[in-house]
Amino acid sequence: MSNIPLEGIRVVSFGSGIAIPDATKILGELGADVIKIESKVNPDFMRTIASDPNNSPGFNESNRNKRSFGVNLTIEKGKQLVKDLIKDADIVTENFRSGVMDNLGFGYEDVYKIKPDIIYLSTQGYGKGGPYSHYRGYGPILSAASGLQSIWAQPDDEYGCGGSFPHPDNMVARQAVLLILAALDFRRRTGKGDFIDIAQTEVAASLIGEIQLDYTINERIQKPIGNRSPYAAPHNCYRCKGQDRWCAITVFTNDQWGRFCDAIGTPQWTEDPKFSDTAQRLANVDELDKLVEQWTIEQDQNVVMYTMQAAGVPAGIVQNAFEQFNDPQLQWQNAFVEIDHPVAGKYPHPNIPFNMQDMEFKQSTPAPLLGQHNEEICETMLNISKQEINRMKDEGILESVLQEKQE
Amino acid sequence: MPEKQEGALSVYRILDITDQRGTFCARLLADMGADVIKIEKPQGGEARNIPPFAGDLPHPEKSLYFLHRNTNKKGITLNIETPDGKAIFEKLVKSADVVVESYKPGYLKGLGLDYKALKEINPGLVMASITDFGQGGPYRDWKSSDLVDFAMSGAMIGSGYPDGKPTALPGSPGDDAASYSAAISIVTSLYMRGSTGNGQYIDASIHENSRLGLYPWGLVMWYSNVRSDQPLPPPAGRMGTMIYPVFPCKDGYIRAVALTPRQWDCLVEIIGKPEVLCTEEWREFYFRIGNADALNVLVSEYTRQYTMQELFEKGNEAGVPIAPIYDIKGFVESAQTKAREFFVELDHPVVGKYKCPGTSFKCKDSSFGIRYSAPCLGQHNKDILCEELGLSINDLAALRRAGVI
Repeated sequence: MSNIPLEGIRVVSFGSGIAIPDATKILGELGADVIKIESKVNPDFMRTIASDPNNSPGFNESNRNKRSFGVNLTIEKGKQLVKDLIKDADIVTENFRSGVMDNLGFGYEDVYKIKPDIIYLSTQGYGKGGPYSHYRGYGPILSAASGLQSIWAQPDDEYGCGGSFPHPDNMVARQAVLLILAALDFRRRTGKGDFIDIAQTEVAASLIGEIQLDYTINERIQKPIGNRSPYAAPHNCYRCKGQDRWCAITVFTNDQWGRFCDAIGTPQWTEDPKFSDTAQRLANVDELDKLVEQWTIEQDQNVVMYTMQAAGVPAGIVQNAFEQFNDPQLQWQNAFVEIDHPVAGKYPHPNIPFNMQDMEFKQSTPAPLLGQHNEEICETMLNISKQEINRMKDEGILESVLQEKQE
Repeated sequence: MPEKQEGALSVYRILDITDQRGTFCARLLADMGADVIKIEKPQGGEARNIPPFAGDLPHPEKSLYFLHRNTNKKGITLNIETPDGKAIFEKLVKSADVVVESYKPGYLKGLGLDYKALKEINPGLVMASITDFGQGGPYRDWKSSDLVDFAMSGAMIGSGYPDGKPTALPGSPGDDAASYSAAISIVTSLYMRGSTGNGQYIDASIHENSRLGLYPWGLVMWYSNVRSDQPLPPPAGRMGTMIYPVFPCKDGYIRAVALTPRQWDCLVEIIGKPEVLCTEEWREFYFRIGNADALNVLVSEYTRQYTMQELFEKGNEAGVPIAPIYDIKGFVESAQTKAREFFVELDHPVVGKYKCPGTSFKCKDSSFGIRYSAPCLGQHNKDILCEELGLSINDLAALRRAGVI
């Protein structure tokens, strides 16, 4: 018996961007056979914001562990090929704008007719139903619409600007994978498939539920507090020696405060009664933060982190990608894997994060070129002859962009 | 009211012995129907002390953090450090499917309650440990916090204004990412167990999972910039305002994200096609990123003439993704949130009736969603210890006196 968790499970994945591509990447890590349905005319938009559709770094991370089937879905024969794939599939996923799948003839009702026990997961920015269900949204748009961005700021910022990274897309991906796995177990027990609809704004919102309760129960609309905490001080991100170098330090208890003071050599200010307990430190937090930074600004960020951790105080540098790659703990955990992509070349990627004792995980495969697996899928899964495949290529039913790297 | 259908996970019993960190993992499973029992020490876990509180006065049943993260769970008290408490825990493990824990590495082994020991009691047991840095490695015994998780996630360096401080993502993002990862591993293991009968041990590190849950692209983006001439923004910079610009309106701010030339054309169209924005170079995404400040000045003049809602609607009808920067009230009261009935009313024994955020998903066949509010301390002691394990009320009194429950 195989110890690869999702061996034999087949996913037909529509969609674009991050949420669904990243979700199906994870299903691929768990061993599922993922087929990404692609179009040359309307490619995944992540392919379009790079100079080469096959060399988009974000695309190539989120689309590992899947095969690409390039097919023209505006032609009836193209649709039929995908319907035939779905007949043997367990899972269909999509994150196109509302209505697109219905118009293509692959909405849940259509797919249900082909495969009644299908697990069909659909996710849009604002979810199904309601006045904005057809509205468009990338992660940062949804951070704004979920209320999260309004407090993702320093207190004196003009407005919350959030980050460069597309939150909550990757969290949505995880919520999707979790629901799909639970649906697979449900199907195993009951024989029933399911239709699942995720609203991405609501994923972002559910991660700050306590802040919404402050409004629904206490009628308080929280304002940004930056890196501070209402119940701990010091609690901030402090500037260290060098350019854009920072270390987060968080002191929650008086015991940790004592350790913090010892670790920085107990300068005289630390003995001032105005810093003697958490309440005092919170009351004088502006001054406290300045004094802490007087120490950190003279130190290398790693020295700050190691000094604090050696003293038992939670602290960590604000890592950039390079520092992350060299992080001793992540190295120890074997957290990176080099993958050789036919166009992009060799790159380190995150390794499979699932740490389960008795399971096997296959080596990740690189993201596919657009339409890379057309022939393989037609031959082995759809029993189509080579001549017929060539005819479909000529007729524009099968589509691909296969330019490999020139040596 | 008709009986609710079976939830996706409603055949499973989860024992949640986490306190603050990792507690969201069991909540995620509970939202899909799992029967989750939160096990706390007799005086209650530290998470009950996290402010703010319902009504603001500190009260062990009123921490909003505790209420949110423990919705849909039952609760009992148990001191697993006492022989009687340990014996009761072992009995519960015998008939449970999953244990989720977040103690510091080695603690449960010291009590004889690590996975190896528990597997003897229940060979099909799935157990997940969610800890700051994982069960091994040089940082194993290091300490973390929400802010430290985020700092080390690789996402914080890109969070905030370009010339400002790295800025925290509110909530507990690293912990949540690890909770998702652990929950995915747990359900995978349960699914596998359906055919193999075998249990599983899961080691989930918040540090490792935080970067993957927030910004798995960090590394490839960095390598790509170092190694090629791809016209991409430097991943280490705080570029939020440049890639995903924000513009002022009459009554607040909107975020408008035009990635493609067509989306940009739509944005220009809805603000009245000002001539100064109708040049070919502005259609280029990377040109706009490189000239973000100038662009902001030009576009703001026009967006100021509209309300957030006007631009939200106009943009989406025309084809450019725009959203208001809602404050918390704006989201809770928005027409979409209401139409989807995201907020659900619960009745808590101490807090009373209140509206809580529901689940972000709706399922056709396996739906469960919100069932009950977070447990009061020891609320289900009688249900679990007497009705399931056969202890008497007198036994409970004796256990209480002995500090076991």
